[in-house]
Amino acid sequence: MNRLIGLLFVLVTLCLPKPAAAQETPAQGAAAAESSGTWATIQKDKRLIWGSDMEGGGPFIFPREDDPEQVTGFEVDLAEKLGEYLQVTPEFSQGQWDKLLDLLRAEKVQLVINGYEWSPERAELFEASMPYYVYALQLMARTDDAGVTSWDDLKKPRPDGALMKIGVLTGSASQEVMEEYCGALCEVIGYDGNTDAMREVETGKLDATLQDTPIASFYAPSFPALRPIGEPVAPGYYVIYARKGDKQLIQAVNEALILMLRNGELERIYSRYGIWDKQQQELFTLAEHAKFFGYEKAAQVEVNTADAPLTQAEVAVTSTRKRGWVVVQDYFPVLIKSAGLTVVLAGLSFPLAVLAGILIAVGRLYGPAWVRLPLTAYVEFLRGTPLMLQLYFIFFLLPELGVNIPAFTTAVLGLAINYSAYESEIYRAGIQAIPGGQMEAALSLGMSPTQAIFRVIVPQAVRIVIPPVVNDFIALFKDTSVCSVVTLIELTKRFTVLSMSTQAVVEMMLMTAFLYLVMSYPMSLIARNIEKRLGGSGVNV
Amino acid sequence: MIHVDSLFKRHGELEILKGISLTVNRGEVAAIIGPSGGGKSTFLRCINGLETFQGGAVRVGPHVLSANLHPRKDAAQLQKVRKVVGFVFQQFNLFPHLSVLGNLIEAPMLVDKEPKEAAVARAVALLDRVGLLAKAEAYPRDLSGGQQQRVAIARTLMMRPEAILFDEPTSALDPVMANEVLGVISDLARADQTMIVVTHSMRFARQVSDHVHVFAGGHDVEFGPPDKVFGDPQHETTKAFLKEAGKD
Repeated sequence: MNRLIGLLFVLVTLCLPKPAAAQETPAQGAAAAESSGTWATIQKDKRLIWGSDMEGGGPFIFPREDDPEQVTGFEVDLAEKLGEYLQVTPEFSQGQWDKLLDLLRAEKVQLVINGYEWSPERAELFEASMPYYVYALQLMARTDDAGVTSWDDLKKPRPDGALMKIGVLTGSASQEVMEEYCGALCEVIGYDGNTDAMREVETGKLDATLQDTPIASFYAPSFPALRPIGEPVAPGYYVIYARKGDKQLIQAVNEALILMLRNGELERIYSRYGIWDKQQQELFTLAEHAKFFGYEKAAQVEVNTADAPLTQAEVAVTSTRKRGWVVVQDYFPVLIKSAGLTVVLAGLSFPLAVLAGILIAVGRLYGPAWVRLPLTAYVEFLRGTPLMLQLYFIFFLLPELGVNIPAFTTAVLGLAINYSAYESEIYRAGIQAIPGGQMEAALSLGMSPTQAIFRVIVPQAVRIVIPPVVNDFIALFKDTSVCSVVTLIELTKRFTVLSMSTQAVVEMMLMTAFLYLVMSYPMSLIARNIEKRLGGSGVNV
Repeated sequence: MIHVDSLFKRHGELEILKGISLTVNRGEVAAIIGPSGGGKSTFLRCINGLETFQGGAVRVGPHVLSANLHPRKDAAQLQKVRKVVGFVFQQFNLFPHLSVLGNLIEAPMLVDKEPKEAAVARAVALLDRVGLLAKAEAYPRDLSGGQQQRVAIARTLMMRPEAILFDEPTSALDPVMANEVLGVISDLARADQTMIVVTHSMRFARQVSDHVHVFAGGHDVEFGPPDKVFGDPQHETTKAFLKEAGKD
């Protein structure tokens, strides 16, 4: 489904007037001059905004144990170091992994550093740095599973005839590799989080999983029941992506990467997370070749391999699996804080939706045709398309038309616009339920139609529709979770991020569900109260 | 005060009013009686623009309603007439979300921008006049039908109408409550309030009106002073109708 939506947007995007990215040969000079702007901006602002998804988890980027609102991980350290070399302050910007390149395109971030493989397709659309890590794909299965001891076993169905199920990260190289390997002989299932598939193998829902080596190494201690099967395969490169045309920025990044590599700083960072392995030697070969591409200076820095042992402080906390009340103790405050964002989003967007909904309903019932028709189209369009796509459109596609709206505003507007369609239908029904005599009585007292509508009809309609409106509010309340698509970390996103990094999925889920419940239940009570009070005024309900 | 000139109203193929003319002078009370479906209510609703009509004209003081007005486009013109012509409905049509006092002061404050204190003072006086001062804070659904209709009359009076149209004001009420309401209307008549009353109560029509009109089949078939119309009806329809009505 996600892929289908993605495809849809690619198609939509193709129809939009293309920005600099698509301007090839004739205007190349102009495009380059224009996009050197990003590097200039970074130097001017002294800050570098890089996008990454903390939900992806360790060892890339994940919440810090002592302060779950801050992030840590080898890519965080890498970005810090990069900042030092470029003499700017790196600023992390949260985004959903599969939307990071959209964030880049929409100029919400300046670089993407999040385990993105180099691929010819991406290199075509974006500027790619030199690799900062050489990964490979490691097959993993349960230690006690005699049915999976080699890659070949994957193609043999279980004794009961069921095909082997292999979990992969959706949209990653592992998915491509596995799908090609399996064909029709085994089943590939995509997951959104790194460790989801590992957990599913552990519980027996999956037979095996194919993971990037950093993940396999980093999480090995957390999943003692899993073991690596065979040698890592299909090596590839993690690279940093920048917008097409940002060549100066990428050159600066490359130079820093080469220096960090030759200084031994890259090794130091990776060692902290237990992911420096022999495959990284290839980075030196690549850096060596870089001298032919304008990086003579960096490539001549002496290689420093005499590495001092890591100090205690430098050894990164590896992933530990927590269970029970200690999780609640540690993470409840952070969840509550994210719940606050959920409340604010709902609290700001719903009144707007109600107001717009009333006006739309009145327009559709009492307005002339030139008002009614567009409003009907508005309602049908918004009801007929998913909220997620609407948010996506506002956040990622409007910037291509020159309208850049911040994430929070996007979320409030998107929710308000989407729900105004539903609200208007509720109020339309409410207004239609008011007896015609009310309008006649108001008019015969000398009120204008507008006065009659807003002082007599709407106040009564509002009372009648309290139950469905409260229902709608609770629905919106929960729909705020969709806002993670525009980079906001509300309650649900915080839940997924924390359950990924702590592996305490059940505890996190219970806490999150509890928070949603304690927030929405009082609303039902308040609504019932209002209903009772206003019901006393005698509008027939 | 009110001059209706050959009013013609059609609803699709159905001709409801077939050229009715009628005049009510200041301080007069006109009663309209006649069999159901004779066009009485429709006629009344045309006078303050709740219904449009296809021919003729309505003149109320200096304001004129011509044929084929558009409810939205001609709203301003309709509003002018409605400000000077009150309307009391068979079903009362009080605003259920407002208290009795709220029902009374809403329109004056909204339409005439009357200050709240002044409106409340007048409302209290009017409630006293219709005998419902004690119910000022009550909501419509806590009132009997007769009380609701008296509040509706007071609400109409709040706009200081030059004329009031009553559309079968007691038809939804039992006899006791009907008498309460008729008492209030009679008081208004004594105070020289210009009124047109559509009613099924022959006794009331006879008591209160200066002249009586008998509507049947879209025509004003007979009109004159009540004693003449009731005592010596000329038209066959009137005779038949009064005979039927007398049975009740």
